[in-house]
Amino acid sequence: MSFSLINAIRKLNISTVSQIRLISSGSTEVSSINSHSNSDLNVSQKEWKFPPQFTKPREVWIENLDSIDEKKLGLFELHPLVYAVLPRIDIIHRNVIWQRKFRWVSWAHTKTRAEVNGGGRKPWPQKGLGRARHGSIRSPLWRGGGIVHGPRSGKTHFFMLPFHLRIHGLTSTLSAKFAQDDLHVVRNLELPTEDPEYLAELIEKRNWGPSVLIVDDNDYAPRNITVATENLPHVNIIPFYGLNVYSMLKHDTLIITQTAAERIEEKILQHLHSNTMPQQAKFKLNQV
Amino acid sequence: MATVWRSQCAFARFFVGKTGRILNNAADLGIKLTPESISVSTTRSYSNYSHSPLVKKIKEQYDFEIEKNPPEWAYVERLLPLETIPPVQPKETYPSGWIPPKEEAKDLPYFMPRTKNHELPIYLIITHKGQRKVSMLRKLEGDIWLMNDLIKEHLQTNFNRYIETRVHELGRFIEVKGDFVNSLREWAYSKGF
Repeated sequence: MSFSLINAIRKLNISTVSQIRLISSGSTEVSSINSHSNSDLNVSQKEWKFPPQFTKPREVWIENLDSIDEKKLGLFELHPLVYAVLPRIDIIHRNVIWQRKFRWVSWAHTKTRAEVNGGGRKPWPQKGLGRARHGSIRSPLWRGGGIVHGPRSGKTHFFMLPFHLRIHGLTSTLSAKFAQDDLHVVRNLELPTEDPEYLAELIEKRNWGPSVLIVDDNDYAPRNITVATENLPHVNIIPFYGLNVYSMLKHDTLIITQTAAERIEEKILQHLHSNTMPQQAKFKLNQV
Repeated sequence: MATVWRSQCAFARFFVGKTGRILNNAADLGIKLTPESISVSTTRSYSNYSHSPLVKKIKEQYDFEIEKNPPEWAYVERLLPLETIPPVQPKETYPSGWIPPKEEAKDLPYFMPRTKNHELPIYLIITHKGQRKVSMLRKLEGDIWLMNDLIKEHLQTNFNRYIETRVHELGRFIEVKGDFVNSLREWAYSKGF
């Protein structure tokens, strides 16, 4: 399997040096291959903390942002438990609904009979008039009276989706993006110019969809890309800890840097293989 | 650094010699007792001891050195909780009866990985006050339909009757109608999962 893959790479004539990680079950062979071009393809084993057991890891090209034409700089492996999960649309839906609702505060407000102006006095005596008996002109029965169970201002809709469902949502969306060819892994975010036109042309040329979400490893990004994305409202750049289902669905294409992809994988795998009860205990409702 | 409230001796100004400058209650920690530093006002009475003007905030300073990764750190590390669930230590037999998964199981066209706690993902679901029992095999990978056929065959031979199953391709699970958890676990162990 590794041999056929290396042949395929040779045919593509990759010009720059790359670090290719290939799978080989259990063995730690390292072989160096001489290709047509000057570069040497280094074949090394990727070390997984939780190695994939049955489903093969997904392979993705490492691309570049230096030129408008895409150049493939190498191959990269993605863990199947994160990027090859069968997407659960219902869980993705629940994540999106949660993200929309949990921060929302409803500011609708109505006055109760106590708050409506007036209505302290009994309008007419209890007996004798032949009219219905009333205590105040602002009771809910009256026109202009208070509302009984109306909305009360500052109503929070905070709730926490279970941790494993949030993780499943992330893995489902990442897998869906990958399966639909909307996920691209990039070596680094260095652009030659800070002109937003360059980035727009690049996206247009490579058919990357109208909106692009760029995920970086840390908070600091090269100046050129920050200036370019600032002036393009449909291209956004976020650090890896800001990755969420809503943003991934809102943007058509997802661009992840190599280190960011590794870190996302690492974090998600750590959560999938650890005891999440202490973390969840904070948000567990008392009487459910 | 510890902050200590100390009250100065009200009559310190009368002490002239070195013996007089030593405080009665504790060792001196570098505070110089001068007549100018004391100001006693007899007009106001303070209910809070620490806010009275007789009390001065004293910061204690200790000498300390920072050492990265000393050999004693191992004793601290072994007390810290683990971040992830560790892999099982390989042994010949386990007194609990736990059976480890085998490598040959990965060559089959279907697979059932262990849960994060290294257990088989076969569960019994009881609903309707115990009237409805369903055995669920979760986390299945590979050819589910083939696995379904094999399970049906295995249960048919063991229980001498047709047993209904439900295959969910998207959710990657198989539900078997009835309580066959033990039988299914034996089957899974025989396959090496």
